[in-house]
Amino acid sequence: MGGATNLPPGFHFFPSDEELVVHFLRRKVSLLPCHPDIIPTLLPQRYNPWELNGKALQAGNQWYFFCHLTQSRTSSNGYWNPIGADETVTSGGRNVGLKKTLLFSIGEPSEGIRTNWIMHEYHLLDGDCMAGGSGNSTSSSSNRKSHRKRGHSSMESNNWVLCRVFESSCGSQVSFHGEGTELSCLDEVFLSLDDYDEVSLPNK
Amino acid sequence: MSISVNGQSCVPPGFRFHPTEEELLNYYLRKKVAAEEIDLDVIRDVDLNKLEPWDIQERCKIGSGPQNDWYFFSHKDKKYPTGTRTNRATAAGFWKATGRDKAIYNSLHRIGMRKTLVFYKGRAPHGQKSDWIMHEYRLDDPATDTAAATVAAAAAAADGGQEDGWVVCRVFKKKHHHKEYSGGGKNGDGGGKSAAAAAQHAYSGGSSGDDALDQILQYMGRSCKQEQEHISPPPTATASGGGRTTASRYLRPIDTVLAGHGFMKLPPLESPSAAATPAMSSSSTTPMITGDEHLLLHHRTDWAMMDRLVASHLNGHSDAAADDDQLCNFAAAGDADASLAFYSAAATRLLAGGNDDDLWSFARSAAPPPPSATS
Repeated sequence: MGGATNLPPGFHFFPSDEELVVHFLRRKVSLLPCHPDIIPTLLPQRYNPWELNGKALQAGNQWYFFCHLTQSRTSSNGYWNPIGADETVTSGGRNVGLKKTLLFSIGEPSEGIRTNWIMHEYHLLDGDCMAGGSGNSTSSSSNRKSHRKRGHSSMESNNWVLCRVFESSCGSQVSFHGEGTELSCLDEVFLSLDDYDEVSLPNK
Repeated sequence: MSISVNGQSCVPPGFRFHPTEEELLNYYLRKKVAAEEIDLDVIRDVDLNKLEPWDIQERCKIGSGPQNDWYFFSHKDKKYPTGTRTNRATAAGFWKATGRDKAIYNSLHRIGMRKTLVFYKGRAPHGQKSDWIMHEYRLDDPATDTAAATVAAAAAAADGGQEDGWVVCRVFKKKHHHKEYSGGGKNGDGGGKSAAAAAQHAYSGGSSGDDALDQILQYMGRSCKQEQEHISPPPTATASGGGRTTASRYLRPIDTVLAGHGFMKLPPLESPSAAATPAMSSSSTTPMITGDEHLLLHHRTDWAMMDRLVASHLNGHSDAAADDDQLCNFAAAGDADASLAFYSAAATRLLAGGNDDDLWSFARSAAPPPPSATS
């Protein structure tokens, strides 16, 4: 993974939202080279999330890739459905991007079975970027304008998006290696049980 | 501290020092223990007793980017004058172990253990729990790489000799992150459901092979076990009378756990005669029995042994109990699978012992104990 670097053990691709938008997506849109150039571009047809291995950049248990935003977010086995509210990505106090969260369901739209596969889809807000793309921009995403709080869509850059796909575990958003700065559900239970410990065993 | 790799002044965008547990143990800690040079001085040595968690961020900063977790080496040689427990107190509070230690595996075998600790402000037992969490990693005793076959050796590695030497720690602040998963969107994903979803995940056992129910049972039983230590004498062959009442309280959980795994079926209490067949496995496991374990078998039979078995299952974590019984500590140190393996080993060993050590004599003695069971 991320073969472009020769960092010592322990350094991994673990980008912030801001880095993804500013260092990767913006450069991609601007046709500038990315350093390091590690995130591949996948064809518009969407893969099933479990088919990304070997195709997208794998970092821990997450997969990164660029793709064009298409009309429908469907794959051969299912579809991505937006969940939650869009988040704004800021850099230096300015809004530079938008982060949408989608959930993969297996089956036909509206009657699919939900999975644990999550996608974060990063969109560029082209305040200061020279749009290098082909300009058939916002039509595909206009159907989702309604849940955008502040109508960013009119400023949305061309249709390149940067995607991060991962299988959610434990109901939490991100577990990078499945370990680390998140407590497992179990740890949380233990932690709360400690309180009872204190009560029942004051002499401990 | 600045990062410089091959003359380049910084880490490429998007890259962070966020080592896997295997990297922490097999690269950084192993090198530290062997006093080898580490290419990049990213993990510092700190004296845990002199460093408050909120000072760790500054002390253990890597580069200039935002950081959510911090790493340091700590040498565990500070002990209380009495006992073997590590002193993890600072000026403002103390680190208290929570849950139980988790075994860390690479793709091949066990490489170390992880202890989870929470920082409490103040002094025990009146500390105030904070959001600061520490994962303390220690390497397995190298001796076990060759001798891992025996339960005794594994138990020794799990608990013996762990209180000295270098550990590598990851410190982070507990996040209250439940809003992010479903965030109250239009699909009826109320944010408040996340906790329930999390609990559901825990019970479905979907992640990383943890058997959540087993661990929770084990953890909850910890206080029961401590209680038991207060009210009943140490289990011996002659103390089976006292042991019976306490043990019977635990029959339900242990039964449930084992049945859930389809692993070892206890026969119904009324039908001890059905118990003949499992003894077949004895021949293959007999050579594993060491002298010590023979002693154990012959001195602790019946309900006393069942007590040990149950107690070891219920034993919470090795840091809390200064129990010198290796069998108990083995279960405390391992993860769910390890303790199941322990059960199977203990069960087959019991069976291998034959006679009074027959596991099924436990079932018989639920009724008034037959003479042979107390001999």
